[in-house]
Amino acid sequence: MAEKFDNLEEHLEKFIENIRQLGIIVSDFQPSSQAVLNQKLNFMISGLQDIEKCRQQLHEINVPLEVFEYIDQGRNPQLYTKECLERALARNEQVKGKIDTMTKFKSLLISELSKVFPEEMSKYKAIHGEDAPS
Amino acid sequence: MTEMFSTLFGQNEAQGPPGSSLGFGPGKPPPPLPQNQVPMAGQMPPQLGDDGPALRKPGAMNEPFYLLRELPVGNELTGNTNLITHYNLEHAYNKFCGKKVKEKLSNFLPELPGMIDCPGTQDGSSLRSLIDKPPVCGNSFSPLTGALLTGFRLHTGPLPEQYRLMHIQPPKKKSKHKHKHHRPQDPLPQETPSDSDPKKKKKKRDDDPDRKKKKKDKKKKKVRLFIETSSSVIMCFY
Repeated sequence: MAEKFDNLEEHLEKFIENIRQLGIIVSDFQPSSQAVLNQKLNFMISGLQDIEKCRQQLHEINVPLEVFEYIDQGRNPQLYTKECLERALARNEQVKGKIDTMTKFKSLLISELSKVFPEEMSKYKAIHGEDAPS
Repeated sequence: MTEMFSTLFGQNEAQGPPGSSLGFGPGKPPPPLPQNQVPMAGQMPPQLGDDGPALRKPGAMNEPFYLLRELPVGNELTGNTNLITHYNLEHAYNKFCGKKVKEKLSNFLPELPGMIDCPGTQDGSSLRSLIDKPPVCGNSFSPLTGALLTGFRLHTGPLPEQYRLMHIQPPKKKSKHKHKHHRPQDPLPQETPSDSDPKKKKKKRDDDPDRKKKKKDKKKKKVRLFIETSSSVIMCFY
């Protein structure tokens, strides 16, 4: 899996470096730079072709759209991962709290019902087993 | 309370057709409730379209219960377990939540040239716009031939100021690393952190102008010597 990303990363880095050099050439253009510029333009096209080839290897990779929003705002996309993990843990804790509360409620309800309806509750326990109050 | 339960039960009797797929015995109407017996919560009918746990088989049913559901299986994965530990994400959690993640995009992509921390909507370089309005282009990239390259003949000279985006770089703080490399040579113990020692920094800063002065003096002396020697040499010629 990592090799696929490494390959894409390598091509992207080369492409960016080529674009940077193109920018430098263009920023103060000299007549002698025309040949180099033409070469860089064709390097750019070959770079795009290489990136296009990487697409086939990364078909099963899904990127959440929210990550793009972070990048568009100039924010570190790792913050998205961080917030996702924090949100998952918070929700996990909330659900655990609910389950614990409901478990306590169930045991309390069964114990109280056993006092009021002992016969019915004994039958109920016979059906559901002794672990019913848990 | 009992009234509420009984009214609910009464409604059920009125609504539920006998022998329907709601879990009653085959062709058997629900057992009549004795006058003195209070119905249990387990007798409540399921909501329509409720896909809860499977109903207990009619054979296994005991009076006074019916429509009893199977208890959920204990080993089912729920929020009761720590899901981050379950999916082996502790390392990722510690990595991202243990320390402060830097806010800016340039901290994530330090090698990327240009001002990448600005919002992409400002200059139309957002990824969102790329998805919303994909560029109209062909499916393949073909290299530019001689005729096509004529369109890229540029005028000589520098670009106007407003187009020089390649030269603008976000400020980088790399001086700290340099200091760290010099640290081991210092005779002082390493336990004292560099940030908590402002005196040292001040000293260094104070030393710098002195050094510069000394260097300047040395240069002046050298120039004087050179002038003196050269003048003496000239005098000798004369």
